[in-house]
Amino acid sequence: MTTGGTATKPDAPPRPAPAATVTQRRWRIRLLRDRSLLLMTLPAVVLLAVFAYVPMLGLVTAFQSYDIYSGFWHSPLTGLDNFQRLLDDPIFWHALSNTLVISAVQLVLYFPVPIALALVFNEVVNARLRSFVQSVVYLPHFFSWVLVVTVFQEMLGGAGALNTMLRRHGWATWDIMTDPDAFKYLVTAQAVWKEAGWGVIVFLAALAAIDQSLYEAAAADGAGRWRRLWHITLPGMRGVIVLMLVLRLGNALTVGFEQMLVQRQAVGRDASEVLDTFAYYYGVVNNNFSYGAAAGLFKGVLSLILVLAANKLAHAFGEDGLYRK
Amino acid sequence: MQSGAIPDAGGLSRRGLLTSIAVIAAVPLLDACGSPKEKGAGTTSEGDLSKALPAYAPSDLVKPDIPVVAGANGASTDPAFLAYPANPVRTVTGAVGAGGTYVTMTPLWGAIPPSSGNAYYDAVNKALGATLKLQPADGNTYADLLPPLFAADKLPDWIDVPSWTTTKLNFGEAVRTKFADLTPYLAGDKVKQYPNLAALSTNAWVSGVWNGKLYGLPIYSSNAVIAGAYFYRKDIFDKAGVSADVTSIADLEAIGKALTNAAAGQWAFDDLFGNDAGYICQIFGFPSQGYPWTTDSGGKLQHRYETDGIVEALNWHAKMVKAGYLHPDAVANNSQNAKQRFWSGKVAVCADGTGAWNGDDAKSGAAANPSYNRQAFKLFSAKGDKPTIQLGNGASMYSYLNKKLNDGQIKELLAIANYLAAPYGSAEWLTVNFGTAGTHHTMTAGNPLLTEQGSKEIATTFQFLACPASASTVQSGAVQVVKDAAAWQADLVKHTVKPLFYGMNVSEPAQFASLGQPMMDTITDVKLGRKPISAWTEAVTTWRKQGGDDLRKFYDGIREKFGTGK
Repeated sequence: MTTGGTATKPDAPPRPAPAATVTQRRWRIRLLRDRSLLLMTLPAVVLLAVFAYVPMLGLVTAFQSYDIYSGFWHSPLTGLDNFQRLLDDPIFWHALSNTLVISAVQLVLYFPVPIALALVFNEVVNARLRSFVQSVVYLPHFFSWVLVVTVFQEMLGGAGALNTMLRRHGWATWDIMTDPDAFKYLVTAQAVWKEAGWGVIVFLAALAAIDQSLYEAAAADGAGRWRRLWHITLPGMRGVIVLMLVLRLGNALTVGFEQMLVQRQAVGRDASEVLDTFAYYYGVVNNNFSYGAAAGLFKGVLSLILVLAANKLAHAFGEDGLYRK
Repeated sequence: MQSGAIPDAGGLSRRGLLTSIAVIAAVPLLDACGSPKEKGAGTTSEGDLSKALPAYAPSDLVKPDIPVVAGANGASTDPAFLAYPANPVRTVTGAVGAGGTYVTMTPLWGAIPPSSGNAYYDAVNKALGATLKLQPADGNTYADLLPPLFAADKLPDWIDVPSWTTTKLNFGEAVRTKFADLTPYLAGDKVKQYPNLAALSTNAWVSGVWNGKLYGLPIYSSNAVIAGAYFYRKDIFDKAGVSADVTSIADLEAIGKALTNAAAGQWAFDDLFGNDAGYICQIFGFPSQGYPWTTDSGGKLQHRYETDGIVEALNWHAKMVKAGYLHPDAVANNSQNAKQRFWSGKVAVCADGTGAWNGDDAKSGAAANPSYNRQAFKLFSAKGDKPTIQLGNGASMYSYLNKKLNDGQIKELLAIANYLAAPYGSAEWLTVNFGTAGTHHTMTAGNPLLTEQGSKEIATTFQFLACPASASTVQSGAVQVVKDAAAWQADLVKHTVKPLFYGMNVSEPAQFASLGQPMMDTITDVKLGRKPISAWTEAVTTWRKQGGDDLRKFYDGIREKFGTGK
């Protein structure tokens, strides 16, 4: 923020004071004014520092030939060797491509679902029915992936309810759980089943923030249900939708580690290897920490670029995105 | 999908990055892929081995009901007991410990018992005259737990290290700095101060020797260790009138046809391959994972991945999948519920570790199906010729003492180990395994049976620090299971062979660690018919190029310098 812009504010200090003192006093005044807010953010900042920033120092292993006994200090530096190996590794590129494909499918098929659900809930007038349905769709969020996959296996697996029924009637079976081609849709379906209900919460909050008098005014002007949805509800949610979209793009390379791990054997590596499982199998499992760290760092940098680009796009459309410009 | 399918942005950044890498790589900071390291190879020449090994002084204090049968190449059956001796002998006299307190760590497959107010822990500690603070950790994730502990140098006083984790730990190197050398305490006749440890066979100690020195105490040692067996449901076979006399894969295939009825929810087979071909190698005669090397007709080292046997095995298994003889969950490679599938009779044949055949299994099976009867096929080979099976290490886990312990502490812990190693049938064994009479167990039909408190508080904990040689014993009152298993084992030990590099504790350099993962992935794809066999031959070519041939050179070097352990 420039000093020029703030000088016009009503609480700005008198002009004659030298520039340095002005900034200092302004800084102190704002600190004093926002002290409770700042205090409130402190725990979060500490948590972030301890659990997100400090561990980042471990990224140094990506540039080393890390050996657990030598530690960070004594492991030999290898420069960008690990990255070069990574970029020459067809398995890595395959994992990246899988990640992007699954992410794209999820963006198209998963992202709109919570928004649609929020709109539906918003229309349900009966409060008891609404809270019942909401609870039912929230619940799977608290299941572990192992449990979710087991439920799907029991329903759609080769020996599951669906195929047992088909077999009893002498019809052809379709084992969706072991079909590598259907895998990206399967994981998306699982994600929808598990997380869509939970994802509704933030959109419901956005809906609650819309001024009710707008609806009354529109209704008085003769606007029907669809017109109100189009002209009031959706514009009212736009900021939140764009924010969620930016966050989603930032997470585009994270498509679910456990979910892939649990189902890797059922569909094989070709369908299920994503960046996170790659880092696990080729890094952690074989004690090849440096290689795993390189893959992780590569993913992190790519994600950062994605989130910044998406944020820029949001600003271009006049939305706040992650922060106000 | 090929890397060509990567979106444009990826290709561009890849090229850009490569350019910058090329600049930096011009300054070689370190030669990461050097020749195999000489130091810390872990292994020992035969002469040094005999100097480090403890003497063998078998004990005749307790006589098994079914005597030990000697087999081929040093194998022998486990002693089998049909009832606990009515008057258990004492094998340890006088004080055991000297009142020390030690922290220990062991893996545990099952529920972790309460650590405070555990009357079983207290009872055993009292008998030991010392306090062992037990820290059992989840066995399934134990291998992931150890590396950080080793790296941070936060090792307990006494720790169980399973052999399958040692490669990951670069153990040949770690053992010298982390653990106490027990050679001065146990080598040769010195072990005789600890008679129960001296009663462990020589073969049991071999893999506890690293770099020419003895470090490990063997856990559940046995001279009949094999990768696993092929089990079948005798009750289902009998009911369908199918013979269990299998002598070739053709016989097995016939069973697949006879016992599969998918519409009724009944399949003949579970997965018959095993992880990384761990089970099927015994049928198709190629080496197991633990000792993957064999020699070709010209005497050149050949890896199990390069054998014809594994190709035949993959082809055959894929054929069975295609024929629909495998349970669909097995085709999804879900092994977690394999036991339930077998118990409930949804599959009639499965491959499993030999430990699966016991009284508790009979109890679980009978709960699902009262006529449940697990039996194992006699060892057979694919083509019906003479079968062989690799003999495994004398023990698959060893426990180690921390190097920081002083002489007195090491002696105290070895005395405790001697107590814990008291044989089946002794008074000490009963305390270690079944706690206090009345509180933790009652004698039922001549065998100890856990009480409710017993099943809550007792878990395999002390035993993973030190224990006697494996014995086949009655669990849950199932006497017949012990008889059947012992008879089967007596036949099995006739066919055992020692693989190349047997018991030599070769530590492979870390650069080879990642070679296996793509192979295991490809095995799964091909054995389940998701990919053609050509995918496997391609993978083997890549494997050779990416390090397999270098690994062979490394083992050529070991063979030249230390021999092959035969």
